[in-house]
Amino acid sequence: MRRTGSSGPVAVLVGLALLASSPAWAAGLEFYQTVNREEVGSEDTFLLTVVTVDAPADAKVKLPSSDDFEVVNSSRSTQRSVSWSGGGPANIQDVTKYVLVMRANRAGKLTIPPSEMTTGGKTHRTESVRIDVKPGRLGPPPAQAGRQRLPDPFSNTPSRLPDPFADEPEDEPTIPRGDSDLFLRSSLDRDEIFVGEQVTLSLYIYSRVDLSSVDAVTMPKLEGFWTEEVESPTQLSGEQKVVDGVPYRAYLLRRRALFPVKSGTLSISPAEADITTGFLFAGHRVHRVSNGLKVKVAPLPPGAPQGMSNANVGQWRLSVDVSQTRVELGQPVTVKVILEGTGNVKNVTPPKLTGPAALKIYDPTTTDKVTPQRNRVQGRRVVEYLVMPQRTGTFTLPGLEFPFFDARTRKYEVASTDPITVTVESAAGGTAPPPSTSAHVADSANEQKNVLTSGGLRPVRYQARFVAPSEPLWKRGFFVPLVLAPLGLLAGAALLGGVRGRLATRTEADKGRQQAKAARKRLAEAEKLRAGADAGAFYTEVEKALHGFLGARLGGPVIGLTREAIGERMTAAGVAQERRARVLYVLEACDLGRYGGGGDAAARQKVMDAAVAAMEGWA
Amino acid sequence: MSEYYSPEEAQDVFLKANEAYAREDYAAAQAGYEKLLSHGHGGADVLYNLGTTHLARGDLGRAVLSLEQARKQGGRAPDLEANLAVARARQVDKVVGATAEEEFLPRVTAATEGSVVAWTFLGTWVGALLLLLVWRWLTPGRRTGVGVVAALLFAVAVPSGVLLAAHAWVDETVHEAVVLSPTLVARELPQPSARSIFEVHAGLKVRLLEETGRFVRIRLPNGLEGWAEREGVAEI
Repeated sequence: MRRTGSSGPVAVLVGLALLASSPAWAAGLEFYQTVNREEVGSEDTFLLTVVTVDAPADAKVKLPSSDDFEVVNSSRSTQRSVSWSGGGPANIQDVTKYVLVMRANRAGKLTIPPSEMTTGGKTHRTESVRIDVKPGRLGPPPAQAGRQRLPDPFSNTPSRLPDPFADEPEDEPTIPRGDSDLFLRSSLDRDEIFVGEQVTLSLYIYSRVDLSSVDAVTMPKLEGFWTEEVESPTQLSGEQKVVDGVPYRAYLLRRRALFPVKSGTLSISPAEADITTGFLFAGHRVHRVSNGLKVKVAPLPPGAPQGMSNANVGQWRLSVDVSQTRVELGQPVTVKVILEGTGNVKNVTPPKLTGPAALKIYDPTTTDKVTPQRNRVQGRRVVEYLVMPQRTGTFTLPGLEFPFFDARTRKYEVASTDPITVTVESAAGGTAPPPSTSAHVADSANEQKNVLTSGGLRPVRYQARFVAPSEPLWKRGFFVPLVLAPLGLLAGAALLGGVRGRLATRTEADKGRQQAKAARKRLAEAEKLRAGADAGAFYTEVEKALHGFLGARLGGPVIGLTREAIGERMTAAGVAQERRARVLYVLEACDLGRYGGGGDAAARQKVMDAAVAAMEGWA
Repeated sequence: MSEYYSPEEAQDVFLKANEAYAREDYAAAQAGYEKLLSHGHGGADVLYNLGTTHLARGDLGRAVLSLEQARKQGGRAPDLEANLAVARARQVDKVVGATAEEEFLPRVTAATEGSVVAWTFLGTWVGALLLLLVWRWLTPGRRTGVGVVAALLFAVAVPSGVLLAAHAWVDETVHEAVVLSPTLVARELPQPSARSIFEVHAGLKVRLLEETGRFVRIRLPNGLEGWAEREGVAEI
């Protein structure tokens, strides 16, 4: 026991009194279980409370388990109570409560099996509990004193986050089966609205595990709605929420304002998200699909004022801002029609500025400024007109009216502006003074004017140049051939040149081949003379054959050249040493044969063989 | 009257149509101009008058169609632009949102006359290549002048050829059209039962992207796309 403060004597007396009274532990063991509802929906959760009173320290409690039920959450709490009665010893009770948040897996009359407690080798059992489960959702349990609701474990948190739903009913999500630790929840701030009225769609992640990141979010198809982004957090920021007694962290993913453009029951398909739980390498990616939604959209009530549009819903103020009301002729006036308020800013159409013909009004430019506050879309739409006076005088821009439906009061309203008077004076140095009777000309509808506006249709043309329908030039038949023809001519010329060049080259080669062929033919003639009596004729024929061959192969006649000169030309032509020697040998042998008596048949044969060998294989 | 008009007959029909327009007999005027077109006596002037007649009759879709065709054939003209502006001012549709920037090539081709580009390319290309041929046959001393002229012609032929290719590409791929139906529903899919995405009205200029069955996919100037009935639009 801890002493506090300086009240020592009192504490000591109390302590002594307690010791003297010898406190008695209650001997009665109690063990029972109860449920907070006897009838639930299959989508509802309920509480099963198992209580032990004065259970021994070694007592082991086994909570009920059944395939008919799932345990969404469980908690355990212990308390000790001390009571005095009649001056006797203090009575001390230890109470342990096990609270299970459960949900039935099927409809029907189901039984929760008994809980068991084992202590000192003996087993105690509670009564089983019968519960009637209806299909669907019956709603929250009726408020009952005592034990029905679990205490909010975060109710004592010193500073709670601001409630983003302060202006709207709290969403009551249903914990989905199988994904009870992490689920995606779409919700609307209301279920029944008018056409053009805002309903806010919020997409939350409810999680009992640590989230690392949300990788991809697929928003639902919002058919039949005009949408505006209200909130799209870039970082996950959670807040504590208790769903059916189970504490969760709720993370807002998206919030969008929806403006239905048609009446009826509109459906909103489920959103989807890829979520990574855990940290770093322990991360785990899961895919979650939210619930679908329906919203009833009522048409606007009858009795709409003239010019009312379905988009004109909300609370609106209309004003007009004029840059100047007194201008010189030729100077423009800027008129801003400003519509501001709450509603679908980007879809409302401010009334069109009109004016007398003397004021030419140019097409306007529109700028929007949307500033959502407390999840409501609001802002201003400014339509800026340039008005150019066409003549001097005093002119009136009529007042404007903007009818709209106020969904809060459920009434049609009309925002309006006052007429604006613009005075146009003649410019300094102007050449067109106003009538002498008055400085200005009043703009009157009845006044007869020769109105010369730039609008209206231009007249038809009185002369025509008739043109037969025709294909574009590049599609006509002659175009492509004409484009390609010069290319063909060029290609033909190039081809012709190439052919001529090749023909010339071929003639030289053929010439060489013809000469070589003639030389071989002549050698064949010499072969006939080899055995004859005229040795000179044989050698002359062999020499002519060789000269002809050399002339063909060396690219020029060699008759008349000395053997040295022939040798040099062969060397220059890259003829092999052996072949050169063979040629020179034949030429020398022919000289000797012609002038040295001719030699015998064997010598002729040797010369013949040498000549054949010199010619063979010379490409 | 015979199947084919002589120039005098065509002029007579044109003048009669103009007279009908002047006495506000727009039906007769329209019939006259359409008769000229069907007999091959069209052109920017006839189309302009037909568009103006449609506009006077309140047929916004055909008015814009004829005026746009007149602009395509004859280029911009003050009266044409003024009447087109009147037609646009009468249109029901106001295309809001970030207007998609028109592609570069259609803008280039709109700024140049296709036939002029084609003739320029053809003349310079053929001339340059013929001079190149002559250049080959000339002796080296006499080649300089011909070479310079050929190079100049090539310098014109190459860019005009690129421009011509752009015209051909745009002509083949970019199909602009005008909504003729008073109300034309654009759907998500080319099926009559498909979900409607938006509605357009007569006179709106759209682009045709593809065609399947009796549906065409249209794109609005701000990029909005949907499938609409083919007969509800007419290509310019």
